[in-house]
Amino acid sequence: MTITPTTAQVGDTLPGLTFGPISRTTLALYAGASGDHNPIHIDLDFAKTAGMDDVFAHGMLSMAQLGRLATNWAGQDRMRALSTRFTAITPVGATITCSGTVVDRQEEHGRVLLTVALAAHIDDGTQTLRGEAKICGTP
Amino acid sequence: MGIFNRSTKGHVTPPIEVTLERGPLAFFSETIGETDPIYFDSDAAQAAGHPDILAPATYAVVVGTFADQIARRKGQPDILELINGDLRVLLHGTEAYTYHGPMFAGDVVTVENEVTDFTDAKGGKLEIAHITTRITHATRGLLVEATRGIIHRLG
Repeated sequence: MTITPTTAQVGDTLPGLTFGPISRTTLALYAGASGDHNPIHIDLDFAKTAGMDDVFAHGMLSMAQLGRLATNWAGQDRMRALSTRFTAITPVGATITCSGTVVDRQEEHGRVLLTVALAAHIDDGTQTLRGEAKICGTP
Repeated sequence: MGIFNRSTKGHVTPPIEVTLERGPLAFFSETIGETDPIYFDSDAAQAAGHPDILAPATYAVVVGTFADQIARRKGQPDILELINGDLRVLLHGTEAYTYHGPMFAGDVVTVENEVTDFTDAKGGKLEIAHITTRITHATRGLLVEATRGIIHRLG
């Protein structure tokens, strides 16, 4: 049975999502689309002067995927909050796998508030983001 | 010894007006791989009952960045300049949004940043700047509050 924000219970998992592999083109486009022109993500020469072997992906590109996972399931109008911690760098070429699990369900005055634990992992299993979404059971 | 200019703690930037332009908003949605057309197609958005295309969940950071660009054009420091962020050692630590209302293409919103605190972590190997960004609409009020932790890797 398909779970919805109205019927979801603690322990339920949301439909997952993958994004990638993240190419240099993706990073160039994200820099332009987001306005985040930090050269550490798009300019190899700059990255090397900063002591890095290569450019790496914008953390916000991965957070956008966690946002998509939550809103594609619940709809933007049920979203109350979204937060993430960036726990590791996402290298060029990585594919991000995003997951979400309902970890709390509160019912107050007939309104349901869900807490969904979110995570992003890259191919080698490294967790790159962890966070949570607060989602209303009703719009 | 940190790099951030900690004397900016408590500083609130002058409000900057940002228009959410439809083309850039659709470009962002497509770039993040969004597949729901309410985020990039006006007709689909209107068919779903929205006035225009809807901003994705993380678009608040983009609106903040656009406000930074406008500040620079006005000769004002952007938030990173203000706190003396150094891109060579800078990492994004945390990002959080609380949603109070949706943002749509065509909206004119006001952006304000507040430098709320500076903290240290890992025995001084990291320093963290804490920034809060509020995005408000003239008639719909506060739409999104964003908080951000920006890290310097030291030594």
